[in-house]
Amino acid sequence: MLNDILLITEKHKAAADAILNYVLEQRKDKMVIAISGESGSGKSELTYLLAKLLRREKIFAKPLHTDNYYMTDPLKRKEWRISRGIENVVGYGEYDWAMIHKNIDDFKHSRRSEMPCVDLVTEQVDQLITDFKTVDMLIVDGLYAIKAEGVDLKVFIELTYLETKEKHTKDSRGKEVMDEARWDILGQEHKMVQALKPLADLLINTDYQVVEVK
Amino acid sequence: MLNDLITVTPRHENAAKLILDRIIEIRKELPKDKMIVTISGEVGSGKSTVSVVLARILKPQGIRAKIIDLDDYYKIPPLQRRQWRLKNGINSIGYDEYDWVKVKQNIADFKDSKTSKMPCVDLITGYVDELRTNFEGVDMLIINGLYSLRIENADFKVFIELTYDETRDAQKYSQKENIDAYRLQVLQREHEVVQSLKSHAEFYIDFDQSLYHL
Repeated sequence: MLNDILLITEKHKAAADAILNYVLEQRKDKMVIAISGESGSGKSELTYLLAKLLRREKIFAKPLHTDNYYMTDPLKRKEWRISRGIENVVGYGEYDWAMIHKNIDDFKHSRRSEMPCVDLVTEQVDQLITDFKTVDMLIVDGLYAIKAEGVDLKVFIELTYLETKEKHTKDSRGKEVMDEARWDILGQEHKMVQALKPLADLLINTDYQVVEVK
Repeated sequence: MLNDLITVTPRHENAAKLILDRIIEIRKELPKDKMIVTISGEVGSGKSTVSVVLARILKPQGIRAKIIDLDDYYKIPPLQRRQWRLKNGINSIGYDEYDWVKVKQNIADFKDSKTSKMPCVDLITGYVDELRTNFEGVDMLIINGLYSLRIENADFKVFIELTYDETRDAQKYSQKENIDAYRLQVLQREHEVVQSLKSHAEFYIDFDQSLYHL
Protein backbone atom coordinates (compact mmCIF):
# COMPACT_ATOMS: atom_id res chain seq x y z
CA MET A 1 0.00 0.00 0.00
CA LEU A 2 1.46 3.32 -1.05
CA ASN A 3 0.52 6.70 0.42
CA ASP A 4 -1.69 5.45 3.21
CA ILE A 5 -2.22 7.90 6.07
CA LEU A 6 -2.09 6.41 9.54
CA LEU A 7 -3.65 7.85 12.69
CA ILE A 8 -1.55 6.45 15.49
CA THR A 9 -2.73 7.01 19.07
CA GLU A 10 -1.59 5.88 22.52
CA LYS A 11 -4.07 2.98 22.54
CA HIS A 12 -2.47 1.58 19.38
CA LYS A 13 0.98 1.85 20.97
CA ALA A 14 -0.12 0.05 24.13
CA ALA A 15 -1.78 -2.77 22.17
CA ALA A 16 1.26 -3.17 19.88
CA ASP A 17 3.48 -3.44 22.97
CA ALA A 18 1.26 -6.18 24.39
CA ILE A 19 1.18 -8.11 21.11
CA LEU A 20 4.96 -7.85 20.87
CA ASN A 21 5.30 -9.88 24.08
CA TYR A 22 3.22 -12.73 22.66
CA VAL A 23 5.17 -12.66 19.40
CA LEU A 24 8.51 -12.83 21.23
CA GLU A 25 7.24 -15.68 23.43
CA GLN A 26 6.10 -17.72 20.45
CA ARG A 27 8.88 -16.58 18.17
CA LYS A 28 9.85 -18.96 15.38
CA ASP A 29 11.63 -18.81 12.05
CA LYS A 30 9.60 -17.25 9.25
CA MET A 31 6.69 -16.56 11.58
CA VAL A 32 3.41 -15.29 10.10
CA ILE A 33 1.18 -13.00 12.18
CA ALA A 34 -2.28 -11.98 10.99
CA ILE A 35 -4.37 -9.04 12.18
CA SER A 36 -8.09 -8.92 11.35
CA GLY A 37 -10.70 -6.35 12.20
CA GLU A 38 -13.29 -4.15 10.59
CA SER A 39 -12.64 -1.03 8.60
CA GLY A 40 -11.36 1.71 10.91
CA SER A 41 -10.46 -0.66 13.75
CA GLY A 42 -6.75 0.18 13.56
CA LYS A 43 -5.24 -2.81 11.70
CA SER A 44 -2.77 -0.78 9.65
CA GLU A 45 -1.71 1.27 12.67
CA LEU A 46 -1.11 -1.86 14.78
CA THR A 47 0.74 -3.56 11.95
CA TYR A 48 3.01 -0.57 11.45
CA LEU A 49 3.77 -0.22 15.17
CA LEU A 50 4.34 -3.94 15.70
CA ALA A 51 6.75 -4.09 12.76
CA LYS A 52 8.62 -1.08 14.13
CA LEU A 53 8.86 -2.66 17.61
CA LEU A 54 10.11 -5.91 16.11
CA ARG A 55 12.78 -4.03 14.20
CA ARG A 56 14.08 -2.76 17.54
CA GLU A 57 14.44 -6.41 18.56
CA LYS A 58 16.49 -6.91 15.36
CA ILE A 59 13.62 -8.81 13.79
CA PHE A 60 12.83 -7.73 10.21
CA ALA A 61 9.06 -7.84 9.72
CA LYS A 62 7.26 -6.95 6.52
CA PRO A 63 3.60 -5.91 6.42
CA LEU A 64 1.35 -7.51 3.81
CA HIS A 65 -1.96 -5.70 3.38
CA THR A 66 -4.67 -7.89 1.93
CA ASP A 67 -6.40 -4.80 0.51
CA ASN A 68 -3.76 -4.94 -2.23
CA TYR A 69 -5.32 -8.21 -3.40
CA TYR A 70 -8.82 -7.19 -4.42
CA MET A 71 -9.73 -8.72 -7.74
CA THR A 72 -11.67 -5.64 -8.82
CA ASP A 73 -10.01 -2.39 -9.86
CA PRO A 74 -10.14 0.25 -7.06
CA LEU A 75 -11.91 2.77 -9.27
CA LYS A 76 -14.59 0.33 -10.42
CA ARG A 77 -15.12 -1.62 -7.19
CA LYS A 78 -18.01 0.32 -5.75
CA GLU A 79 -20.01 0.26 -8.96
CA TRP A 80 -19.28 -3.44 -9.36
CA ARG A 81 -20.46 -4.18 -5.82
CA ILE A 82 -23.67 -2.21 -6.24
CA SER A 83 -24.49 -3.82 -9.59
CA ARG A 84 -23.97 -7.33 -8.19
CA GLY A 85 -25.69 -6.64 -4.90
CA ILE A 86 -23.61 -5.71 -1.85
CA GLU A 87 -24.87 -8.59 0.32
CA ASN A 88 -24.04 -11.07 -2.49
CA VAL A 89 -20.45 -10.08 -3.24
CA VAL A 90 -18.85 -8.16 -0.37
CA GLY A 91 -16.63 -10.60 1.50
CA TYR A 92 -13.66 -12.98 1.13
CA GLY A 93 -14.60 -13.84 -2.42
CA GLU A 94 -13.45 -10.41 -3.55
CA TYR A 95 -9.82 -11.19 -2.77
CA ASP A 96 -7.25 -13.07 -4.79
CA TRP A 97 -6.51 -15.70 -2.13
CA ALA A 98 -4.37 -17.76 -4.49
CA MET A 99 -2.02 -14.79 -4.82
CA ILE A 100 -2.07 -14.07 -1.06
CA HIS A 101 -1.14 -17.69 -0.36
CA LYS A 102 1.53 -17.65 -3.05
CA ASN A 103 3.13 -14.56 -1.50
CA ILE A 104 2.96 -16.08 2.00
CA ASP A 105 4.59 -19.21 0.59
CA ASP A 106 7.29 -17.10 -1.10
CA PHE A 107 8.00 -15.55 2.28
CA LYS A 108 8.19 -18.94 4.02
CA HIS A 109 10.62 -20.19 1.40
CA SER A 110 12.71 -16.99 1.31
CA ARG A 111 12.02 -16.42 -2.36
CA ARG A 112 11.98 -13.27 -4.44
CA SER A 113 8.34 -12.39 -4.83
CA GLU A 114 6.12 -10.16 -6.86
CA MET A 115 3.00 -8.80 -5.23
CA PRO A 116 0.30 -6.25 -5.97
CA CYS A 117 0.66 -2.86 -4.29
CA VAL A 118 -2.13 -0.29 -4.44
CA ASP A 119 -1.19 3.37 -4.65
CA LEU A 120 -4.00 5.09 -2.74
CA VAL A 121 -3.28 8.37 -4.49
CA THR A 122 -3.34 7.24 -8.13
CA GLU A 123 -5.71 4.35 -7.28
CA GLN A 124 -3.65 2.14 -9.54
CA VAL A 125 -2.31 -1.29 -8.70
CA ASP A 126 1.48 -1.32 -8.96
CA GLN A 127 3.62 -4.43 -8.64
CA LEU A 128 6.11 -4.69 -5.79
CA ILE A 129 9.09 -6.99 -6.09
CA THR A 130 10.69 -7.94 -2.81
CA ASP A 131 13.28 -10.44 -1.67
CA PHE A 132 11.98 -12.39 1.33
CA LYS A 133 15.41 -13.89 2.04
CA THR A 134 16.19 -11.22 4.63
CA VAL A 135 12.68 -10.94 6.07
CA ASP A 136 12.10 -12.75 9.39
CA MET A 137 8.38 -12.21 9.93
CA LEU A 138 5.31 -11.40 7.90
CA ILE A 139 2.42 -9.39 9.32
CA VAL A 140 -0.70 -9.97 7.23
CA ASP A 141 -3.35 -7.38 7.89
CA GLY A 142 -6.80 -7.02 6.47
CA LEU A 143 -10.48 -7.60 7.11
CA TYR A 144 -10.19 -11.39 6.69
CA ALA A 145 -6.42 -11.80 7.20
CA ILE A 146 -6.73 -14.45 9.95
CA LYS A 147 -8.53 -16.67 7.48
CA ALA A 148 -5.30 -17.06 5.48
CA GLU A 149 -3.50 -20.40 5.59
CA GLY A 150 -0.20 -20.86 7.40
CA VAL A 151 -0.70 -18.17 10.03
CA ASP A 152 1.09 -18.74 13.37
CA LEU A 153 -0.53 -16.02 15.48
CA LYS A 154 -4.01 -14.66 14.83
CA VAL A 155 -5.06 -11.31 16.26
CA PHE A 156 -8.65 -10.06 16.09
CA ILE A 157 -9.75 -6.50 16.86
CA GLU A 158 -13.28 -6.48 18.26
CA LEU A 159 -14.02 -2.82 17.54
CA THR A 160 -16.88 -2.59 15.03
CA TYR A 161 -17.62 0.01 12.39
CA LEU A 162 -20.50 1.29 14.51
CA GLU A 163 -18.06 2.15 17.28
CA THR A 164 -15.72 3.95 14.87
CA LYS A 165 -18.58 5.63 13.03
CA GLU A 166 -17.11 9.10 13.38
CA LYS A 167 -13.97 8.00 11.55
CA HIS A 168 -15.99 6.89 8.55
CA THR A 169 -18.06 10.02 8.22
CA LYS A 170 -15.09 12.35 8.72
CA ASP A 171 -13.11 10.76 5.92
CA SER A 172 -9.91 12.30 7.30
CA ARG A 173 -7.93 9.52 5.67
CA GLY A 174 -9.40 10.48 2.33
CA LYS A 175 -9.83 6.81 1.57
CA GLU A 176 -13.45 6.52 0.58
CA VAL A 177 -16.37 8.89 0.35
CA MET A 178 -19.24 8.19 2.72
CA ASP A 179 -22.71 7.46 1.37
CA GLU A 180 -25.50 4.95 1.81
CA ALA A 181 -23.83 2.25 -0.26
CA ARG A 182 -20.69 2.62 1.84
CA TRP A 183 -22.72 2.02 5.01
CA ASP A 184 -24.22 -1.11 3.45
CA ILE A 185 -20.74 -2.30 2.51
CA LEU A 186 -19.49 -1.73 6.07
CA GLY A 187 -22.52 -3.62 7.40
CA GLN A 188 -21.87 -6.59 5.15
CA GLU A 189 -18.14 -6.60 5.97
CA HIS A 190 -19.11 -6.50 9.64
CA LYS A 191 -21.04 -9.76 9.29
CA MET A 192 -18.25 -11.46 7.39
CA VAL A 193 -15.48 -10.27 9.72
CA GLN A 194 -17.33 -11.16 12.94
CA ALA A 195 -17.77 -14.73 11.70
CA LEU A 196 -13.96 -15.13 11.87
CA LYS A 197 -13.65 -14.20 15.54
CA PRO A 198 -13.54 -17.85 16.80
CA LEU A 199 -10.26 -18.34 14.88
CA ALA A 200 -8.40 -15.75 16.98
CA ASP A 201 -5.54 -16.46 19.41
CA LEU A 202 -5.53 -12.91 20.72
CA LEU A 203 -8.44 -10.51 20.99
CA ILE A 204 -8.21 -6.76 21.20
CA ASN A 205 -11.39 -5.77 22.98
CA THR A 206 -13.42 -2.59 22.54
CA ASP A 207 -11.26 -0.87 25.21
CA TYR A 208 -8.26 -1.85 23.11
CA GLN A 209 -6.95 -4.26 25.77
CA VAL A 210 -5.16 -7.34 24.45
CA VAL A 211 -6.73 -10.54 25.78
CA GLU A 212 -5.49 -14.08 25.25
CA VAL A 213 -8.08 -16.63 24.08
CA LYS A 214 -7.79 -19.78 26.17
CA MET B 1 8.62 4.63 -0.24
CA LEU B 2 6.74 2.04 1.79
CA ASN B 3 5.66 2.54 5.39
CA ASP B 4 6.50 6.21 5.62
CA LEU B 5 4.52 7.55 8.56
CA ILE B 6 2.56 10.51 7.28
CA THR B 7 0.89 12.84 9.78
CA VAL B 8 -1.12 15.58 8.15
CA THR B 9 -1.59 18.90 9.95
CA PRO B 10 -3.60 21.97 8.81
CA ARG B 11 -0.24 23.60 7.94
CA HIS B 12 0.46 20.87 5.39
CA GLU B 13 -3.06 21.22 4.03
CA ASN B 14 -2.69 24.97 3.62
CA ALA B 15 0.67 24.59 1.91
CA ALA B 16 -0.75 21.99 -0.48
CA LYS B 17 -3.72 24.26 -1.31
CA LEU B 18 -1.40 27.15 -2.19
CA ILE B 19 0.59 24.89 -4.50
CA LEU B 20 -2.62 23.55 -6.05
CA ASP B 21 -3.88 27.08 -6.80
CA ARG B 22 -0.62 27.94 -8.54
CA ILE B 23 -0.67 24.69 -10.54
CA ILE B 24 -4.20 25.42 -11.75
CA GLU B 25 -3.06 28.93 -12.83
CA ILE B 26 -0.06 27.52 -14.67
CA ARG B 27 -2.20 24.98 -16.49
CA LYS B 28 -4.59 27.71 -17.58
CA GLU B 29 -1.74 29.70 -19.06
CA LEU B 30 -0.08 26.72 -20.65
CA PRO B 31 -2.15 23.52 -20.80
CA LYS B 32 0.18 20.58 -20.56
CA ASP B 33 -0.07 16.81 -20.32
CA LYS B 34 2.56 15.07 -18.26
CA MET B 35 3.54 17.91 -15.96
CA ILE B 36 6.44 17.58 -13.51
CA VAL B 37 6.35 19.29 -10.11
CA THR B 38 9.31 19.15 -7.74
CA ILE B 39 9.06 19.72 -4.00
CA SER B 40 12.28 20.48 -2.20
CA GLY B 41 13.17 21.58 1.30
CA GLU B 42 15.27 20.60 4.29
CA VAL B 43 15.13 17.28 6.11
CA GLY B 44 11.93 17.17 8.15
CA SER B 45 10.39 20.18 6.42
CA GLY B 46 7.29 18.21 5.45
CA LYS B 47 8.07 17.53 1.79
CA SER B 48 6.57 14.04 1.68
CA THR B 49 3.47 15.02 3.65
CA VAL B 50 2.81 18.06 1.44
CA SER B 51 3.31 15.82 -1.62
CA VAL B 52 0.71 13.31 -0.45
CA VAL B 53 -1.82 16.00 0.45
CA LEU B 54 -1.21 17.77 -2.87
CA ALA B 55 -1.65 14.56 -4.86
CA ARG B 56 -4.91 13.84 -3.01
CA ILE B 57 -6.41 17.28 -3.69
CA LEU B 58 -5.33 17.12 -7.34
CA LYS B 59 -7.60 14.10 -7.81
CA PRO B 60 -10.93 15.97 -7.64
CA GLN B 61 -9.45 18.35 -10.25
CA GLY B 62 -9.17 15.39 -12.59
CA ILE B 63 -5.39 15.29 -12.29
CA ARG B 64 -3.87 11.92 -11.44
CA ALA B 65 -0.49 12.44 -9.82
CA LYS B 66 2.17 9.88 -8.95
CA ILE B 67 4.63 10.69 -6.19
CA ILE B 68 8.31 9.87 -6.51
CA ASP B 69 10.50 10.19 -3.43
CA LEU B 70 14.16 10.77 -4.29
CA ASP B 71 15.20 9.01 -1.08
CA ASP B 72 14.35 5.80 -2.92
CA TYR B 73 17.24 6.49 -5.31
CA TYR B 74 20.25 6.44 -2.99
CA LYS B 75 23.01 4.34 -4.54
CA ILE B 76 23.93 2.99 -1.11
CA PRO B 77 20.97 1.25 0.59
CA PRO B 78 19.73 2.57 3.97
CA LEU B 79 21.26 -0.15 6.12
CA GLN B 80 24.77 0.44 4.73
CA ARG B 81 24.62 4.20 4.24
CA ARG B 82 25.93 5.31 7.60
CA GLN B 83 28.99 3.05 7.34
CA TRP B 84 29.59 4.19 3.78
CA ARG B 85 29.39 7.85 4.72
CA LEU B 86 31.71 7.40 7.70
CA LYS B 87 34.24 5.75 5.42
CA ASN B 88 33.98 8.29 2.60
CA GLY B 89 33.91 11.44 4.67
CA ILE B 90 31.41 14.21 5.18
CA ASN B 91 32.01 15.69 1.72
CA SER B 92 30.71 12.53 0.07
CA ILE B 93 27.26 13.53 1.30
CA GLY B 94 25.24 15.31 -1.35
CA TYR B 95 23.61 14.77 -4.69
CA ASP B 96 26.22 12.36 -5.96
CA GLU B 97 24.82 9.84 -3.50
CA TYR B 98 21.74 9.54 -5.71
CA ASP B 99 21.31 7.48 -8.84
CA TRP B 100 20.35 10.31 -11.20
CA VAL B 101 20.51 8.05 -14.25
CA LYS B 102 17.67 6.01 -12.81
CA VAL B 103 15.74 9.15 -11.82
CA LYS B 104 16.02 10.43 -15.42
CA GLN B 105 14.97 7.06 -16.79
CA ASN B 106 11.83 7.03 -14.64
CA ILE B 107 11.01 10.62 -15.64
CA ALA B 108 11.40 9.64 -19.31
CA ASP B 109 9.11 6.64 -18.80
CA PHE B 110 6.52 8.94 -17.23
CA LYS B 111 6.75 11.33 -20.20
CA ASP B 112 6.37 8.41 -22.63
CA SER B 113 3.49 6.84 -20.63
CA LYS B 114 5.43 3.60 -20.30
CA THR B 115 5.60 0.92 -17.64
CA SER B 116 8.55 1.69 -15.41
CA LYS B 117 10.59 -0.01 -12.72
CA MET B 118 11.72 2.09 -9.81
CA PRO B 119 13.38 1.50 -6.46
CA CYS B 120 11.12 1.60 -3.40
CA VAL B 121 12.53 1.64 0.13
CA ASP B 122 10.56 -0.10 2.88
CA LEU B 123 11.18 2.17 5.86
CA ILE B 124 10.35 -0.62 8.30
CA THR B 125 12.79 -3.25 7.06
CA GLY B 126 15.28 -0.80 5.55
CA TYR B 127 15.51 -2.91 2.41
CA VAL B 128 15.02 -1.65 -1.12
CA ASP B 129 12.16 -3.24 -3.05
CA GLU B 130 11.39 -2.67 -6.68
CA LEU B 131 8.13 -1.09 -7.80
CA ARG B 132 6.68 -1.55 -11.24
CA THR B 133 4.15 1.06 -12.28
CA ASN B 134 2.33 1.97 -15.46
CA PHE B 135 2.55 5.69 -16.25
CA GLU B 136 -0.26 5.43 -18.77
CA GLY B 137 -3.02 7.69 -17.48
CA VAL B 138 -0.78 9.43 -14.96
CA ASP B 139 -1.01 13.18 -15.60
CA MET B 140 1.54 14.53 -13.21
CA LEU B 141 4.73 13.51 -11.48
CA ILE B 142 5.40 14.98 -8.04
CA ILE B 143 9.07 14.50 -7.22
CA ASN B 144 10.01 15.24 -3.65
CA GLY B 145 13.48 15.20 -2.19
CA LEU B 146 16.28 17.27 -0.72
CA TYR B 147 17.83 17.93 -4.12
CA SER B 148 14.79 17.70 -6.38
CA LEU B 149 15.54 21.27 -7.52
CA ARG B 150 18.33 19.77 -9.60
CA ILE B 151 15.77 18.26 -11.97
CA GLU B 152 15.97 20.67 -14.87
CA ASN B 153 12.95 19.63 -16.91
CA ALA B 154 10.52 20.27 -14.06
CA ASP B 155 7.57 22.50 -14.94
CA PHE B 156 7.12 23.87 -11.45
CA LYS B 157 9.68 23.97 -8.64
CA VAL B 158 8.58 24.39 -5.04
CA PHE B 159 10.78 24.97 -2.00
CA ILE B 160 9.51 24.55 1.55
CA GLU B 161 11.24 26.94 3.92
CA LEU B 162 12.38 25.74 7.29
CA THR B 163 15.61 26.70 8.98
CA TYR B 164 18.27 24.23 10.02
CA ASP B 165 17.44 24.64 13.72
CA GLU B 166 13.79 23.98 13.01
CA THR B 167 14.88 20.92 11.08
CA ARG B 168 16.77 19.66 14.09
CA ASP B 169 13.63 20.05 16.16
CA ALA B 170 11.54 18.40 13.47
CA GLN B 171 13.91 15.44 13.53
CA LYS B 172 13.35 14.94 17.22
CA TYR B 173 9.76 14.20 16.46
CA SER B 174 10.41 12.21 13.35
CA GLN B 175 10.46 8.45 13.77
CA LYS B 176 12.70 8.12 10.77
CA GLU B 177 16.01 7.94 12.58
CA ASN B 178 17.96 8.33 15.77
CA ILE B 179 19.87 11.55 16.31
CA ASP B 180 23.46 11.61 17.48
CA ALA B 181 26.53 13.84 16.98
CA TYR B 182 27.38 12.29 13.62
CA ARG B 183 23.81 12.60 12.38
CA LEU B 184 23.92 16.30 13.28
CA GLN B 185 27.05 16.68 11.13
CA VAL B 186 25.23 14.98 8.24
CA LEU B 187 22.25 17.31 8.69
CA GLN B 188 24.56 20.35 8.64
CA ARG B 189 26.14 19.18 5.39
CA GLU B 190 22.75 18.40 3.77
CA HIS B 191 21.52 21.79 4.92
CA GLU B 192 24.43 23.50 3.10
CA VAL B 193 23.81 21.57 -0.13
CA VAL B 194 20.07 22.25 0.00
CA GLN B 195 20.68 25.96 0.58
CA SER B 196 23.03 26.10 -2.41
CA LEU B 197 20.18 24.88 -4.63
CA LYS B 198 17.43 26.99 -3.13
CA SER B 199 17.65 29.82 -5.70
CA HIS B 200 16.50 27.41 -8.42
CA ALA B 201 12.98 27.33 -6.95
CA GLU B 202 10.05 29.27 -8.41
CA PHE B 203 7.71 29.08 -5.47
CA TYR B 204 8.59 29.32 -1.79
CA ILE B 205 6.38 28.23 1.04
CA ASP B 206 6.94 29.31 4.58
CA PHE B 207 4.87 27.42 7.10
CA ASP B 208 5.05 30.18 9.69
CA GLN B 209 4.61 33.29 7.58
CA SER B 210 2.48 33.81 4.58
CA LEU B 211 3.68 32.54 1.25
CA TYR B 212 5.70 34.46 -1.27
CA HIS B 213 7.15 33.67 -4.62
CA LEU B 214 9.71 35.09 -7.05
